[in-house]
Amino acid sequence: MPWEENGKGKGPWGSSPEQPGNKRPDFDELLKDWINKLNGFFGGSKKNKQNNNRFILLGAFVVLIFWMANGIYIVDPEEQGVVLRFGKHVRNTMPGLNYHLPSPIEKVYKVPVTTINRVEVGIRSSSNLRGTSSREAKITEESLMLTGDENIVDIDFEVQWKVRNPENFLFEVRDPSDTVKSVAESAMREVIGRTPIADALTEGRSAIEFETKEIVQSILDSYNAGIEVVLLQMREVQPPTAVIDAFRDVQSARADRDRARNEAEAYRNDIIPRARGESEKIIQGAEAYKQKTVADAQGQASRFVSVYDQYRKAKDVTRKRIYLETMEEILGGMDKVIIDSRGSGTGVVPYLPLPQLNSGKKQ
Amino acid sequence: MKAIPYILAALVIIFLGSVYIVDETEQAIVLQFGEPQSGIKKAGLHFKRPFFLQNVVKMDKRILDLNAEPRELIAADQKRLIVDAFAKFRITNPLKFYQTVRNEFGIRTRLNSILDSRLREVLGSVPLSTLLTGERSDIMRQIKDNVNKETEGFGIDVVDVRIMRADLPEENSKAIFKRMQTEREREAKEFRAQGAEEAQRITSRAERDRTILLAEAEKKAQILRGEGDAEATNIFAEAFGKDPEFFNFYRSMQAYRMTLKKENTSMILSPESDFLHLFSEPEKRQ
Repeated sequence: MPWEENGKGKGPWGSSPEQPGNKRPDFDELLKDWINKLNGFFGGSKKNKQNNNRFILLGAFVVLIFWMANGIYIVDPEEQGVVLRFGKHVRNTMPGLNYHLPSPIEKVYKVPVTTINRVEVGIRSSSNLRGTSSREAKITEESLMLTGDENIVDIDFEVQWKVRNPENFLFEVRDPSDTVKSVAESAMREVIGRTPIADALTEGRSAIEFETKEIVQSILDSYNAGIEVVLLQMREVQPPTAVIDAFRDVQSARADRDRARNEAEAYRNDIIPRARGESEKIIQGAEAYKQKTVADAQGQASRFVSVYDQYRKAKDVTRKRIYLETMEEILGGMDKVIIDSRGSGTGVVPYLPLPQLNSGKKQ
Repeated sequence: MKAIPYILAALVIIFLGSVYIVDETEQAIVLQFGEPQSGIKKAGLHFKRPFFLQNVVKMDKRILDLNAEPRELIAADQKRLIVDAFAKFRITNPLKFYQTVRNEFGIRTRLNSILDSRLREVLGSVPLSTLLTGERSDIMRQIKDNVNKETEGFGIDVVDVRIMRADLPEENSKAIFKRMQTEREREAKEFRAQGAEEAQRITSRAERDRTILLAEAEKKAQILRGEGDAEATNIFAEAFGKDPEFFNFYRSMQAYRMTLKKENTSMILSPESDFLHLFSEPEKRQ
């Protein structure tokens, strides 16, 4: 029958821990009495009896002090103390110097509640002593997972958790940290098992992390484990090593596609403006021609009109004058041969060595 | 009076023999000469009849873990699977538990085989593809319920059954890898071909645009030239139409001047020509 039912705060030895001054004298007296009796029984000499009594009393007192002092304990800043009295949880204690009734009445479990614990799945990293470099060992049985479209993907992830409720953490689940790991692995496989590989490898990551975290948390809550999942983070998501080259080639093929497109666009950007320039040039040339032709025509026409106006005043003379002036100009510097053909009657043609004339011109 | 210490010592010993502590993680039942007494002892300090008259059996109150080894089984679509699961259970009825399986070791053997057969039964009734959907959690719940039905009598409650790995055996994995690889190769080829396609499209479209641009320009140019020529013709016609005969003469003179250059022309003239007619027969004129 638990002592608690008899009255709150009453210890099993009949002494109340909250009021030590009250009953201890009784206890001491009893002890003294008992020691007296014991001495009497062993038949110590009357003379030493007094001394012995005092000695034993002192010893007993020292033992009692030590026993009581054994209940002093320190809770570190990141911890919470969970105190059990005769195995039953009675209170939690905060960081600092604390006291519990000495063993075996009360005992304390100290639970780190602010410390973030890490569980890795698919990989084990081990740091060297100085923590400067770390080695990672892959665990393929854990990291290879079947995706929703029956492909296989290689995922490493990490769960960070902390204790939310120290009592639950201590009293509800055996091996809480192993439980976190197996629950996380199972949840991740459940989520990956309905996700296509393409999503898992690319933009679906954060959704997977979120969903998995939710599942892990709800399972742990259903166990009442007193654990809070702080972070679930995928570290590496990649195709299995056997096919990674093919996946990389897809990446480079995609890059090749973009490159081809860019090159073609560069070509287009090169020729189109040039063609525009050229067409402008053609049009401007034609416009120039048009203007020039018209201007030319206007010039010639007005020249003609001017001459004609004068011509009308003295037609014959002007006509003759123009004819002669023209001839003068043409024949002025030209080679001339004048042949009188009246005698022969055949004209000038028989005298013409045309090729010679031409070649003579060239020399 | 001398007996008092003895009595006291005996009382202390009896007291120590009849008190016991149940921890918060435990629960206990009391056996009297091996026969379980009713009543479950929760955390705290308890008394019993001293020594061998009654003894206490403590068992865990927390959720316990059972990890099933990976096993191969066959899904409804004849695909072989390697499945690895765990169960979480709690001892809810210590009395029943003690009477049927006695201790944790006992329940583990039983539960293991029950879990195994329920896994085979439930997973054998669905194709692998179902396991790779949202129904996975329903399947797990179904396994849990089935397991629970069978373990009711052991005084435990199976809190959860979860499938960890549900993978294909190695030879199937190889086939999957091969398939993944060929799929990727297909994809890569397609991307490259798409690149070529797009490049061709862009290039040829650009070339077409260039040709059209130039042709349009040429067309416009011809129109402009034609307009110029037409206007010039009109101007000429208007001016020259005033006296076609004189125009003929005047324009011929101009043409002679332009065409007959001393560099490329030699002239053979007859004294009878119009120009020289005075030169040959001056007397006639006078």
